Amino acid sequence: MNAISAEGELRILQGNQACALGAVAAGCRFYAGYPITPSSEIAEQMARELPKVGGVFIQMEDEIASMGAVLGASMGGVKAMTATSGPGFSLKQENLGYAALAEVPCVVANVMRGGPSTGMPTRPSQGDVMQARWGTHGDHPIVVVAPASVTEVYFETVRAFNLAERLRVPVVVVFDEVIGHLLETVRLPAPGTLELVDRPWAEGSPANFRPYAETPDLVPPMARPGDGYRAHTTGLTHADTGFPTQDPAVVERMLQRLLGKLDHHRALIERAEQVATDDAEILVVAYGITARAARRAVALARARGVKAGLFRPITLWPFPETAFRAAAAHASGLLVAEMNAGQLVLEIERLVGGAKPVSRLGRIDGEPIVPAQLLAMIERMASGGETAAAGRQA
Amino acid sequence: MTAMTKIDDRFDVRSWLREALFPHFLCPGCGHGIALRALVWAFHDAGIARDRLAIVSGIGCSGRIGAYIDTNTFHVTHGRPLAYATGLKLARPDLEVVVITGDGDCLAIGGNHLIHACRRNIDLTCVMLNNEIYGMTGGQVSPTTAEDRWTTTTPAGNIEPAFDACRLAEAAGAGLVGREMTLHLPALRDLLVEGLMHPGFSFIEVISDCTEIYGRKNDLGLPAEMMLCQTGSLRPDVYTSTVDQPFRPNRLRTGVLARSDRPGYLARISRVSDR
Amino acid sequence: MLVNRADSRPINVLVVGVGGQGVIMVSKVLAQLCLEQGYEVKQSEVHGMAKRGGSVFSHIRFGARVWSPTIPEGEADVLLAMEWAEGLRWLPSLEPERGIFIADTRRIVPPFAFRNRRRGADPAYITTRPDEVLDRVAGGYAIDATREAEALGNGRAANTVLLGALSTALGFPAEDWLAVISRFVPSKTIETNRQAFHRGRTVIEAGDLPDLSAPPAAPAAAAPVATATPATDRVTWRIEPSWCKGCNVCVTICPERCLALDQRKVAVLAAPDACTGCRLCEYLCPDLAITVSDGALSVAIEGAASPQPAAADPGSRR
Repeated sequence: MNAISAEGELRILQGNQACALGAVAAGCRFYAGYPITPSSEIAEQMARELPKVGGVFIQMEDEIASMGAVLGASMGGVKAMTATSGPGFSLKQENLGYAALAEVPCVVANVMRGGPSTGMPTRPSQGDVMQARWGTHGDHPIVVVAPASVTEVYFETVRAFNLAERLRVPVVVVFDEVIGHLLETVRLPAPGTLELVDRPWAEGSPANFRPYAETPDLVPPMARPGDGYRAHTTGLTHADTGFPTQDPAVVERMLQRLLGKLDHHRALIERAEQVATDDAEILVVAYGITARAARRAVALARARGVKAGLFRPITLWPFPETAFRAAAAHASGLLVAEMNAGQLVLEIERLVGGAKPVSRLGRIDGEPIVPAQLLAMIERMASGGETAAAGRQA
Repeated sequence: MTAMTKIDDRFDVRSWLREALFPHFLCPGCGHGIALRALVWAFHDAGIARDRLAIVSGIGCSGRIGAYIDTNTFHVTHGRPLAYATGLKLARPDLEVVVITGDGDCLAIGGNHLIHACRRNIDLTCVMLNNEIYGMTGGQVSPTTAEDRWTTTTPAGNIEPAFDACRLAEAAGAGLVGREMTLHLPALRDLLVEGLMHPGFSFIEVISDCTEIYGRKNDLGLPAEMMLCQTGSLRPDVYTSTVDQPFRPNRLRTGVLARSDRPGYLARISRVSDR
Repeated sequence: MLVNRADSRPINVLVVGVGGQGVIMVSKVLAQLCLEQGYEVKQSEVHGMAKRGGSVFSHIRFGARVWSPTIPEGEADVLLAMEWAEGLRWLPSLEPERGIFIADTRRIVPPFAFRNRRRGADPAYITTRPDEVLDRVAGGYAIDATREAEALGNGRAANTVLLGALSTALGFPAEDWLAVISRFVPSKTIETNRQAFHRGRTVIEAGDLPDLSAPPAAPAAAAPVATATPATDRVTWRIEPSWCKGCNVCVTICPERCLALDQRKVAVLAAPDACTGCRLCEYLCPDLAITVSDGALSVAIEGAASPQPAAADPGSRR
């Protein structure tokens, strides 16, 4: 999806900056936000960038208003995003649910910090992984991606817009404070080389137009206000006409389509990186900044003769199940490392289904997981001395 | 905009309605139905093409009436229509964006958005239907419920003073502030037209009646009696008993209550981007 | 007819209706009464769409020991229907061998019954006659509780009339029922409700029931749009009967007092000669049901809508 051209400009960027630049490159022309550490640089960058390309930046009165304004802009037909952290992400949840039900494309960057509550605003965490999936009430479709480098923040933000538009779903880009504030060189794509996707737009006669018709790809074309469709959009469960209904059969069918969108497009959504998984006996599962420590630990373990490998989900939700099962095929044990008290490990345990021991390395003290910690765990597991229970360090 | 457009008395309200959705869901005698007529009539009189109109409404009885109007309608989350509308208007300045909200939606859960929309003077028309109650949820006290009134959550009578939404909006900087009652339908229509024509933020409070819950439980009379008391004695009597700051003085002030020519938000944006 | 309370199993009473009728009040009275009679009681209900025409139902179960709060299908000993169509909808819940059906013949046509907007289209409202239904149940009565209550001077006491009817099926002493009812109604209406309760009992016990074989009155939407041309010849007054909710606003505010509600609680131009065409009724109709057209427009309608009757198609007016 994201062809990197060698012709592109080389820049030193912070993760948060890269997120903003990626968004603008993806066609984002509206940003509404509210200051919050450690994501504020995204808003600051957008305030500078958007006017240059004819877009609009606005700092709203609160986190909820920011999310509302983003959805209002998107319903007007403009690609839109916001960014936030911890407490702000909690405040956005209700309107993320609206985006899921009314099928309004939007992108939310959540630069994760230590929680709960105000927690540690300046310290990294990966504690919002489950909230990103299940934060709003009710069953709902949502896509969550977790880049692990500044370059990847840029391209995953572009991909987030493409997915949001293509599938008419909210997409959350989660990365931690470390990546948000990390400076790295980034080779930007040459102008015009990014593949950009627009949402399906309603075309043809407004007569008999059904805004939520069941299309073969399960993504109905969206009516753009001003194009003559005069559609109704609501957060109530609705029929394909867009008008509210509580008819059980209609509601069931509509929600099944809504939830089925992600399954139908899994190939497009799922993305994962695998390092030395072909013969891996100890498979480390890690994402975001933790995956970078894990990559180092796997290399060190290999150097010491331990067949370790790394499975790094880039798409967290829906979880790349097929790729994971293949990567874990030969493993005798798994080690899930994340900066929380055990969140994605629950999904890994579900997928493994008790067939193999799953150990866990967590950290909730506001410090990133380091390679030495992981290496020690890998070696203990390889020598048979590590069990799942003993692995619960956090 | 003092020069009024010519009023077309032959205006056919039904040409603007999604007739298939009627009869509407409002209770018998509900003032919101009259406000619905006033709104579409004002759209017509203001010369707004319905394809260029977008209505954003919140949650509650007020939030549901947008769906009856044959235009681009967005029924969003509770308290947030002004936030959604702000995004929509900034993204699509070519659309005429109108917010329909209620006293709870606009002044309680959405109060923050109201004061900031006023402060920004964002180019929206905000129509707040004030029936002094949370009707959809069965009659709980709202920020505009008069003191001493019975509601399901003030079984011993309301002890909180009410907001004067118009004074609030004026103080927060709204470009145009007005109030009118459903009883005076032509005046309400004209006020709405003024609001629609005004660049910047217009805040229009519509005095409406919740007949089935608020009126019945407080013995405020039959629907028509409630409506006739919008100008007269019934409501103001209660308001004068509100000790220090009567929300609605004996003679409810109506019409345009405040107006400023401060430039709207969109005009300021374009000035910045020209820099 | 009396349910058999000698069994050890719980007695099941299902109360159904639409919002605003008092389903919950009736249920609470019954539940409180059963409690005071020494039974364990469970009551579960669905409500919340009270003012919006949504259906409301309440399960009351009482007995020496009650476990589940809901009545299994086909096991209701009594189905008390406060609205006719709701009663028919819930018929399968009634115990087929001995269940007792008590229904108010009052018809409250919900808004969604009028989805077909074609003029003269049948509303989606049940056309079954009460006697046809009573043939299908083990035992039952259909009474016009609203009219009985209105005869006592307060139509709102219809639910107490139904409580009186219900009391004949459950057999607790009348004074015990009244003691509970008097605690649930406003104190100034206790006497009216006492009379309403007794009226409900009398109607059943004396067999003073309405003629059930009469065909149902045509529901509002089936009626053609009513138009009237006042003597001035300047205006045409039209109403969309299915939109009118009978709030009486137009009747009250008309300066000439020329409007009235008909027996279906739909506004009509009762005194066309007095109408001046001021349009106040149109402006202030909360249901947007009234249209007053001036003479010129009236002519235009007739031309445009031909061969339809005048003013039959509002869509062709512009």
